[in-house]
Amino acid sequence: MKSTKYSEKVLDHFRNPRNVGTLEGDDVAVGKVGNPTCGDIMEVFIRIDGDTITDAKFRTFGCGSAIATTSMTTEMVKGMSLDEAMKLTRRDVAEELDGLPPIKMHCSNLAADALHEAIKSYRRRKGEEVPDDKKEVEEEIECLVGKDEFLSKGVYLTVKDPNDFKNKRTIVLYSGDESVDAAINLTEVTDRVILLTPDETLVISPELAERLSGSNVKVLYQSRLLEVLGEGEVEKAKIYNIDEDEKYDLYVDAILIIE
Amino acid sequence: MKQVYLDYQSAKPVDPRVVEGMARYFTEDFGNPSSLHKVGDVATDALEESRKKIAKYINADEDEIIFTSGATEAINLGIMGYAFRNKTKGNHIIISEVEHISIHNIAKYLEREGFQISKVPVDQYGMVDVGKIEQRIRDETILISVGMASNEIGTVQPINEIGKLAAERGIAFHTDAVAAEALLPIDVRKDNINLMALSSNDFYGPRGVGVMYMQKRYRVNPMIIGGGQERGLRSGSEDIPGIVGMSLATEIVQKEMDSEVKRLQGYRDRMIKQVLEEVPDSHLNGHPTNRLASNAHFRFDGIEGESILLSFKDLGVSVSTGSACTSKTLEPSHTLIATGLLHEEAHGSLQLTSGRFNTDDDIDKALEAVPNVVSRLRKLSPIYKSK
Repeated sequence: MKSTKYSEKVLDHFRNPRNVGTLEGDDVAVGKVGNPTCGDIMEVFIRIDGDTITDAKFRTFGCGSAIATTSMTTEMVKGMSLDEAMKLTRRDVAEELDGLPPIKMHCSNLAADALHEAIKSYRRRKGEEVPDDKKEVEEEIECLVGKDEFLSKGVYLTVKDPNDFKNKRTIVLYSGDESVDAAINLTEVTDRVILLTPDETLVISPELAERLSGSNVKVLYQSRLLEVLGEGEVEKAKIYNIDEDEKYDLYVDAILIIE
Repeated sequence: MKQVYLDYQSAKPVDPRVVEGMARYFTEDFGNPSSLHKVGDVATDALEESRKKIAKYINADEDEIIFTSGATEAINLGIMGYAFRNKTKGNHIIISEVEHISIHNIAKYLEREGFQISKVPVDQYGMVDVGKIEQRIRDETILISVGMASNEIGTVQPINEIGKLAAERGIAFHTDAVAAEALLPIDVRKDNINLMALSSNDFYGPRGVGVMYMQKRYRVNPMIIGGGQERGLRSGSEDIPGIVGMSLATEIVQKEMDSEVKRLQGYRDRMIKQVLEEVPDSHLNGHPTNRLASNAHFRFDGIEGESILLSFKDLGVSVSTGSACTSKTLEPSHTLIATGLLHEEAHGSLQLTSGRFNTDDDIDKALEAVPNVVSRLRKLSPIYKSK
């Protein structure tokens, strides 16, 4: 079956998604799931009164079925008890939408998962015992392979001459204010600067944070550089996404490591 | 609803003049060129006349043209056929990271058969650096394959320089010219091309026909064995209506390409300018200037390509995307990744390719749709943050 051969119901929820938005308040819980390889990120918000879900909203980045399944999930859970909602499966949502193309079942039907995440976080907040099935990511520091081999062949320890980076796709490893400043300055010679940090946020001065958000620097959080790759010069960087526990290659020309 | 078709890179309509010229080879002049009677002779004349025309169009000799069932078969014959024929000379092949998926899959297959493949990376615009090819050449290198232009992002490759390098080093040079057809002049002598794949449909001819060009003194192993047609390199009774159609299509291209390219370039530049101006956080994929006249390729922060495509479908506009969610493998476009994009960025792309039968109105309609589609999907998106 063609991957975009959707039922009328799926198309209707894609065209007119129900319950788009966010919810706020003490009685609100949020669940977020995502699969960056497939390209879906979903957020489900539920408002809970006693044991009943009284309202639900969502936001989704993803394909047609991703949008439709989250929209449908928020419709289905309103009025459900938490136990009922915990029993809602991907299959229930797909059936309610008159089916999904097989190739879309596994990756874009995460809406029910997002809902369950929300309920679990609510229960945890209430002090209930909720098993955490999220894998603990090992926090061991891996050493960077290939740095010395590519010194001055794409790997730089300082910006001596910004023209070394002219029109080069550049990764800057976060190591404090100086590295952020360097990343921002490099956007004057190249339009592709990626700032890599293993942390969830950057601890920098407010002025620098403002300059950064106004710049073209792309920040990759929870990401670590594992290896520098290339034939004689830097061509690729192997990056580890700590949050997703996933490794991938990014094509780059230069890497700045200010120690 | 009248459909606006802006996906010429995926399929082109056959020019009605071509269809007209093919018609009698289905019904009246239906013969088999292998037959020795009069009806067979008529078919032989049509076959050889077509061969001559296509050879002339690419500046080759007629005995350098092998008809196939399409570009994929021509690529199989050109790369795989050459590799197996010449494996005693060496087992190393160089391709670029931005080749058509069929070439990547052939490379994978050849690796399993004992060949070694090096992939040449590209810059942020998708352009191959000849120096990086040179770095990868070894004593065992027998073949370099780089497509004339990217079928996805439209970047035109420096094939003249690559051909020169291959010739100097005594390595065969194969190019997949399909994406460049009807958009760039093709001259195998000038560019030192030894092996090349062409598709009939990309000249506005019928699908199911292609050509493998093979320069004299180069040899390939056949992939299809049978009655020995096409000098034994591609057996099977020749598809005379299709072959005639392809040659008629190249004749039209020869006459009309210059003015057509100018017109398409106008569409392209208008689309690029207007989209980048009107849509915040939008970017152009591929080279800013050195790109196919037909190709406008964008990406939009915070949204996903299949959703873009579906939204355009509802508005009666046919477009394409490099998003994983529309591919058979659920991987994003290897070409976009090779230009240095992250997965989430490659997902949000929109490819608009125009062609012979597009009008100014079509472009207007598509351009009117872009900002609305993008802003609606961004309102749904948890990851879009406007600057």
